[in-house]
This record gives sequence, structure tokens and C-alpha cells, in this order.
Amino acid sequence: MSPTVLLVEDDRELRNTLRDALGVEGYHVHASASLADARALLAHAVAEGGLDLVLLDLGLPDGDGEALLTQLRRDRSTPVIVISARHGDDPKVRLLDAGADDYLVKPFSLAELLARMRVAMRHRGMPLRPAVVRYARDGLEVDLEARQVLRDGAAVHVTPTEYALLARLVRSAGQVVTHRQLLADVWGAEFTEHTHYLRLYMGQLRAKLEADPAEPRLLLTDPGVGYRLVEPAESAAGPHLGRG
Amino acid sequence: MLRSVAMQIPNASPQGRPRAPWWPGLAAWMAAWALMLALDGHVDLASQALLLVPAAAVAAIWWGPALSATTIGLAVLAFNFSFVPPRGTLAVDLHQHGLLLVATVAVSGIVTALVARLRRLASEAEAHAQRSDDLRHLGDALRGHDDPLDGEALLRRMLGRLSGTDAVLLVVSAEPGADSASAPERWFGQPTSAEQDDLCLCVHDGRALGPGSGRREEQPACYLPLRGRQRTLGAALVRLDPAAPPGEAERSHAQALCDQFGTALERAAAERAAARAHQQAQLQSMRSTLLSAVAHDHRTPLATIISAAGALLDQADRLDAQQRQRLAATILDESTQLARITDNTLQLARLDAVGLDLAKDWESPEELIGSVLRRLRQRDPGHRLRAHVPPGLPLVRCDAVLVVQLIDNLVDNALRHGGDGGPVEITARAEGGRLLIAVRDRGPGVPEALAPRLFEPFSRAQPAGGAPAGPGASRRGTGVGLALCRAIARVHGGELTVRRRRGGGASFELSLPVDPLPAPPDDAPPQETGR
Repeated sequence: MSPTVLLVEDDRELRNTLRDALGVEGYHVHASASLADARALLAHAVAEGGLDLVLLDLGLPDGDGEALLTQLRRDRSTPVIVISARHGDDPKVRLLDAGADDYLVKPFSLAELLARMRVAMRHRGMPLRPAVVRYARDGLEVDLEARQVLRDGAAVHVTPTEYALLARLVRSAGQVVTHRQLLADVWGAEFTEHTHYLRLYMGQLRAKLEADPAEPRLLLTDPGVGYRLVEPAESAAGPHLGRG
Repeated sequence: MLRSVAMQIPNASPQGRPRAPWWPGLAAWMAAWALMLALDGHVDLASQALLLVPAAAVAAIWWGPALSATTIGLAVLAFNFSFVPPRGTLAVDLHQHGLLLVATVAVSGIVTALVARLRRLASEAEAHAQRSDDLRHLGDALRGHDDPLDGEALLRRMLGRLSGTDAVLLVVSAEPGADSASAPERWFGQPTSAEQDDLCLCVHDGRALGPGSGRREEQPACYLPLRGRQRTLGAALVRLDPAAPPGEAERSHAQALCDQFGTALERAAAERAAARAHQQAQLQSMRSTLLSAVAHDHRTPLATIISAAGALLDQADRLDAQQRQRLAATILDESTQLARITDNTLQLARLDAVGLDLAKDWESPEELIGSVLRRLRQRDPGHRLRAHVPPGLPLVRCDAVLVVQLIDNLVDNALRHGGDGGPVEITARAEGGRLLIAVRDRGPGVPEALAPRLFEPFSRAQPAGGAPAGPGASRRGTGVGLALCRAIARVHGGELTVRRRRGGGASFELSLPVDPLPAPPDDAPPQETGR
């Protein structure tokens, strides 16, 4: 069965383009142009068997898409990717902290969108049960159950803090994790302003795990927002992959 | 501390001087009289009479001149009656005692007059000091506030000393150029409607009304205009105590306080107007930046996109797959460029705006450069980009989005114009408390004629002299790109410069200040993430 996507976007051209492009990729797309429309479609889709993903524009004619995000987060764990023309990073961080799975600023490429959608669906249900416990990509292997980090097959020694940071990113592999989330989960809620901790430990991790720390390919930076461990190779997705 | 001193009002009676007690004068006289009685018969009459002089002088320190003079008269009569023979009568032997009594009266009178004069001078000096104190206090208070209206309570209390009740203030709109007839009015205190009319009249005329002003002398209150240099910005009403009308000095002091307040109001209004004009000018310049961006930089990519898309649509069946691919790639390239130009223009406009809030945080140079590399690698199939970033660079406090945009623009510029296929290097190093990031290419370098204007928006515009730009130069300009780069460097307290490289090419060099880092984390075992 093809995954079902709710697309909320008020611009007609972009809506049609995305619907066609996602259709070609095998998605079943419900498109709506307003908040009210989206709510109706949401109720309908839930009755029919559920949604796999929501693509949400922020500036809608009858309100802000943020309201729908709040509602979605209250009721169910359907992944939400925000697509917005809003520039500046405050809303980006705020929406991610509020529970959006990812955030794309217009204009974006279709390839980028498809990659983010794949990742978001893989992590569906994550708050209850980690979907990713093993990670492998480009010679890096992390096994959260065995607490093991391998680089080209050889064990890498990481400090407890480095491991905690890496494990947090592995659990959200492919998704951006905000500075605040990382600091709160690894150091504790009172450290959310200590960004310099993150910089230092990310630098150490990169030095141990990246082939060229100056040009990272695994531990990526989203400037002003957070970090993203690059999407794992498909073959290593682990036994928990799939629809929960 | 200074502020609280400035807001204090020295405690004083309505007339500014405490009333002297009456009893020390009486005590002085009684002491003198007791001494005279005690010495009676032991000293001669002249010595006894001499005691009257110090008593009069001492009493004059506390008593007014009228009371002092009367007392001297009575005392001399009593002295005559009690001690001058024949005792018990007011009769005087003119030859023997007349001179003594007259001399006593005269000397006591003169001494009393001198003491009274001294007292008046002292009290005037005191009042004068009090008035300059008031002016200074008010001045301090007005300087301490952004809006002089915050000092209204102080002015009302100071003026209130003329009568004992706080003054009423009317302040009309302090905006210059505003029509005074329709200006919004602000009232402080509760005037009656008749008083309101008179206050308005006072503002309108810019002259005082009431006793001592020469106009409406019969009024039970003083109306004082709050005058600035150019205009009257309001008026103060001081209701008077009919029993104690203010003197000329007090009235002119009150007027001085009012004028000081008026001048402060006027200055604040002028500052507000200047800030508004500045904002307006910035808005204007932002608008023209946006317009120039559309005119210079948006039309070329748009034209390319339109013709490529048109070709795809109209000639689809006559194009082979490779040609179609190339047209689509062109559309993608040009739209990406258009998106970059739009981002740059918007960001420059935002940086120009007043009161921009930078989202500054601790950032690692390695990460900043790393994220630029990752973004631009896709456009760098020939691997021309080379980064030399040594480990252990200091963290810098900056807005990551802006600085990444800066480096990204420099690298994009170098890839675009840095010669065909030549290498583009990014280097970073710490030196003398600053972080230096350089982007270098081996292209033709920056043309001499363009160099001085390179960081101005739209420097691609015709070189001086109208000489046709070379084929490579036609796209050398980056629209607002480099202007934005320099603006970003400067809002971070840094600088962006360009120099020619030995052996050809350009080197764009960014220098950012490095602040001392807060305490590093102590490497205690972190809490386990319970997820």
C-alpha cells in the first residue's frame, strides 16, 4: 500500500507541482489549500486508515499552520514536515522544539524534500519506541544496544559524554536535532544555553569519526538550528524499520 | 544613587524660609534685665545701660526689625523708670542722663539694624541657593529620563512651593510641525474648566498670566508658560495662597523652572523627530536597494529561465533527451542563483534596518566552513574547492546563519569568477585575538577600476569612463552579494577586505573578533538519556 500524505499548501502552483511529483514517487496525496480544508481531510483520512505524513505550509489564508501542528501533536504522532517561506531561524527552531519533525525553507529541491520525507516516516512513533538502534553509514557503525562505536570495523573509544551525544543523534538519524534538545537530553535542562559545550564535543566527535573533520559528511551542521547525523545507509536500517 | 538624590526635594515652607522662634529674644532681654537688677548699686548707671545694647543685638538675631525697635523703646523707658533717678518716674535730668539714654537708644538701634540687614542678606543667599538647587535638581531629573514628561511630578511639586499645593500642568503635543490647534493635550492635575481655558490661553500667547505678570492681575493663580527656544509647549498653573503672594524673585524662579521643562520637552521632541527622519531615510534606502536588485540582478536569470522553459514547452518534440536535460539544468541553475540573490537582498535590507537583533551564539569555524563546503560541493564536480582548517581554532561569537551566508557568497563568487577550473581555497587561522578566514582564487582578480567600489551594492554598473566591460567582467558583479558580506562582517565587529594575490587571483579576507570563552564543561559523567 502506498504511503498517504496530507499536503497543506495554499499556493496553487506549488501544490499541484508537489502533488504530481509525489504521485510519481508512489505517494497517495491529499492536497488542501486552507486550515479548515486540512482539518476536514485529516478527519476523513483518519477514518479511512490513517496518514503517514503531513507536509505543512505556515502562512495559510485562514490561519497559521502552526495551529494544525499543535493539534496534530496533541492527538497523534503523525510526522510533520513544515515547509515555509519564512526566513530567519527563530520560527524554525521554535517549530522543531514544538514537535515538527523537520523544516524546509522555500525554495527547496524535490530531492531534498523526498529525503526528508523518507527519514521522517522511518522515525514515526519514535517518542514511544526508538525506531533506530543501529546505525551504519560510510564506515561508521553505532550499535546502541551493545553501546559500541566502530570506525571501519575498529572500535573507537569515545568518552561517556561523546557517546551520549552520538546516541542522541543516532536515535534521530537523518533528522535535525536542535541545540536546545541536544543540550537538554545530554547535559540536562539547565544547560540549554551552553552551546559552547556542544561545539567542543561535536569537534571531538568529528575528529574521531570523520575522515576529514573540516568537511564533515556524517555529523552535519544546520547553522543556527542544530545538528543532523546523515541518513543511514538503507541496508542498515535495523529490524524495527517499518510501519508501527 | 545620583538619581535618588536628584529626585529629592529639600523640605521647606512655602516661603522658602523657616519662621524664627520668638523665645530666644525674650530670654536675652530677661537675662539682661536680671543682670541689671543684680548689679544695681554696685556699678554706675552708664555701665548698667550698656547691658541694653547686647540684649537688643542678641534679640535682633531672632526678631523682626519692628519688634526689635519697639522693644528697645520700651526697654529704655522701663530703664528710665526703674534705674534713672529720680526712680519711679519718667523724669530725666537732661544734663546728667539725657545723653546716656539717647546714646543707648541710638547704639541699640544701629546694632539691631545691622543685625537685621545681615539676617536679610543671609536669607536671600539661602533662597538663592535653594533656587539654584531646584534648577539643578530638575535638570538632573530631566536628563535622567528619556521622556521629560516623567519629570512632571517633580516640577509640579517644586512649583507648588509657591502656594503649598501641587501645580497643574498642561502639555501640548511636543511634535514640531504639528498643528497646535489640533495637537493632543495632556493634563497633569485637576484644573477647573475656567482654569483650563486660561491655561490654553497662556500656551497660545506664550506669556504669563496672573499677579505680578501685568496681565489678569486679579487672578487668584499664576499661569506660567512652558517655553522652549522656538515654541511654547505647555503651561503651568499655580494656585496662590491669598495671604502670602509670591515675590518677584519667586515668580521669576518659577518661570525659570517652567522654561527648563519646556526646553527639555522641545529637545525630546526634536530627538524623536530626528529618529523618525532617520528611520524614514533608512526605509527609503532599503526600498531603493530592493528596486535596484530587481532591476540589475533579477532580470537576467529570469530571462534565461523564461527562454529555457519556453523552449522545453514549444520545441519538446524536436529536442533530444540531452538537450532537454540541459535546458532543465539551466532553469534549475538560474532559479537557484535567483534564490541566492533574493536571499542576499533581503538580508542586506534586514541588516540596514534599525535595531536588528543578531542571534549570536558560540560557533566553531570548522562547522561554519564545513556547512558551506557541504552546500557548495554539489556545484563543484571538479573538486576545485579546497579547505585548510587546522584543528583547535577558537570558537567565535556570531550569528551562524549570517556568517555562513557570508562565506557561502565568497565561495560562490570565487567558483563563478575565479577562472575556469582554477582551485578555490578556504583557509582559517587564529591570529592576535582574531579569527581570519580567507577565500582565494586564481582567476583574473578584481579589475583595478572596480576595486574601490567592489563592496558597494551593484558595483557591476558601468565602470567609470563608460569603457565596455570585458567578457569576463560582465558577470563579475555580485549585485548586493559583496555589499552584504561586508555588512555582515561589520555587524560582528569584523572586517572584510580584498587583495590581489601574487601570481594572480583574488583573496577575500574576513577577520572576526574572538571573545574569551565561558568556562568549559567539566567532564562529569553525563546523565543517561532515558529515551
